[in-house]
Amino acid sequence: MTIRADHVAGAALIATGLLIFALSGDLPFGTLAFPGAGFLPKIIAAFIVAMGALLVAGAARSAPFRALGWDDLKHAAPVLAIAVAATALYTQLGFAVTLVLMIFALLVLVERKKLVAAGSYSVIVVALAYVLFTVLRAPIPAGPFGF
Amino acid sequence: MEGTIDSLLLGFSVAFRPDVLVYAFLGCLVGTLVGVLPGIGPLTGISILLPVTFGLDATKAVIMLAGIYYGSQYGGSTTSILMRIPGEASSVMTCIDGYAMARRGRGGAALCIAAGGSFVAGTFGLIVLTIVAPPLAAFAVRFGPPEYAALLVLGLIFLSYMSSTSLLRTLVMAVVGLMLGMVGIDSMTGHFRYSFDLPELGDGIGIVPVAVGLFGLGEILSTPSAKVVSDVAAPRLRELLPTRQEWRQSAMPILRGSVLGFFVGIIPGSAHIISSFLSYALERRLSKHPEEFGKGAVAGVAGPESANNSASTGAFVPMLALGVPTGPITAVLIGALAIHGVAAGPNLVSEHPDVFWGFVASMYVGNLMLLALNLPLVGLFVSVLRIPYSYLYPLIIMFCIVGVYAVNNSIVDVWIMLIMGVLGYGLRKFGFDPAPLVLGLVIAPIFELSLRQSLIMSNGDYLIFLQRPVSLALVAVSAGLLLLAAKSYVLRRKDWRASLAEAEAGEAQ
Repeated sequence: MTIRADHVAGAALIATGLLIFALSGDLPFGTLAFPGAGFLPKIIAAFIVAMGALLVAGAARSAPFRALGWDDLKHAAPVLAIAVAATALYTQLGFAVTLVLMIFALLVLVERKKLVAAGSYSVIVVALAYVLFTVLRAPIPAGPFGF
Repeated sequence: MEGTIDSLLLGFSVAFRPDVLVYAFLGCLVGTLVGVLPGIGPLTGISILLPVTFGLDATKAVIMLAGIYYGSQYGGSTTSILMRIPGEASSVMTCIDGYAMARRGRGGAALCIAAGGSFVAGTFGLIVLTIVAPPLAAFAVRFGPPEYAALLVLGLIFLSYMSSTSLLRTLVMAVVGLMLGMVGIDSMTGHFRYSFDLPELGDGIGIVPVAVGLFGLGEILSTPSAKVVSDVAAPRLRELLPTRQEWRQSAMPILRGSVLGFFVGIIPGSAHIISSFLSYALERRLSKHPEEFGKGAVAGVAGPESANNSASTGAFVPMLALGVPTGPITAVLIGALAIHGVAAGPNLVSEHPDVFWGFVASMYVGNLMLLALNLPLVGLFVSVLRIPYSYLYPLIIMFCIVGVYAVNNSIVDVWIMLIMGVLGYGLRKFGFDPAPLVLGLVIAPIFELSLRQSLIMSNGDYLIFLQRPVSLALVAVSAGLLLLAAKSYVLRRKDWRASLAEAEAGEAQ
């Protein structure tokens, strides 16, 4: 049997619905006259499972899972990894240092730009953004160096 | 009517204040840039810039954010016509004949017709909005929980029915959005739901991290930089004026697009996108020379561009009068108003007339600004496209992180944004449209509250939705739409939505 895109999507939905049921154990369903905190979430979880089952049932019309094309993952994965690292460091190192490092890493590691071009670009745009956000009084975290 | 004119004058007294004019201009400018740049849609632009409006009052904030929305509709046509790249999804149809006109040396004229049509349509939409929204709001004040619950269900079903992806896929996304909206403290019982001991999740999942993740980061993850080209030639200023014949050919399509777009805009769904497809189909059907479509037909530019602008104005009617979002963008705008302590809905006109009428009046002014901005400065906007995408997307990621963090000073929101980015990437792979998810997230708290209040009112009797005339009518329309959708599914017959999906897929390639 060929595994198709909607087999995978439907299975993921069924798993999500079941997970919601599992996590909703302590939420009271209540009664129809006075619905509890778990009333709608459990109904929605049932809908998610049912819709997942419908997707699986009609999956024959969807594309084979292998044909989806994952070439862009080579670009997406390092971009995401760098964004995750920047998020982890954002409140520790502060706005300026974290974002200079993030943009520099994206340009050098992912886009293979030259060090000097990447370095100057990242410092200049982050400096401009710092001024912009400071003027607009948007909250930005300060690192050990005060910016 | 006299009262409406007086109120509109009050709105203009707000809209013409120099500080308000500055923010309207900024919104239009940023919106045009957002529309021009591929990979940043209006939703991402609005979400990223939302924190920038925190220091402003509600009127300026919503005027600036709405300027980004309708400005992006103007800007989207530039890349469509000159590069065959839709900077914004609603400009997909403009690519066909706009680019064909550009290849024949009439790119400047196509831009001018698109801007002129957008101006006429935007102004038409505003006039109808001015007339329709206040009485609709006055009617909606009488809505109780059953009516609201039925209205929100109808909104979700309409959205699913109008979607060019399948009804099931759209409903799946809407239901997942509703589920995300359940996270946080239950407003009626005080229970913590799915918050995993994170205090930040007590208030629920915010719309900004979800929208920025799905549409901003998700788009970047799905777009390898090597595939983005930025080779473009800007037309000279003297090439911008259309000939008299081109104006004549565009007049009726602009009028038809304006009317069609406005009414499609009121309906929940990606109205500004759908309206441009419908307008293109209508113009091709009405044309005496349908063979010219695809080869540079003026009507193929004038109709869809007018329709998508009118639709973006029409989308404000349910948002302002009922507090019901018709799509993710109006959902974010409702969220923006809420952050500033203003609730969109029937009471907006009476409780905050300065916000309501100032907002409406500012759109008249904004339309003029956009006309003045878009034509003379087209060369400048096009030059922005020369920035290589490989340098642009790191900047967008930076704004995503900073913007999302700034909403609540919360790094948890940034993590949610990253998770949503991955989800958005996955959803695109599997052919799901993430927009209904955002809509579901926004309406979840209102829907849950209305549903539970209705059941308490009726002592658990679901028939309450059929015993009140307004909710009965809304439930009947919902059932009718579901039956219509089921009919084409069971009979395996192609309806207009399938044709739309095929056209959309074909043009997106």
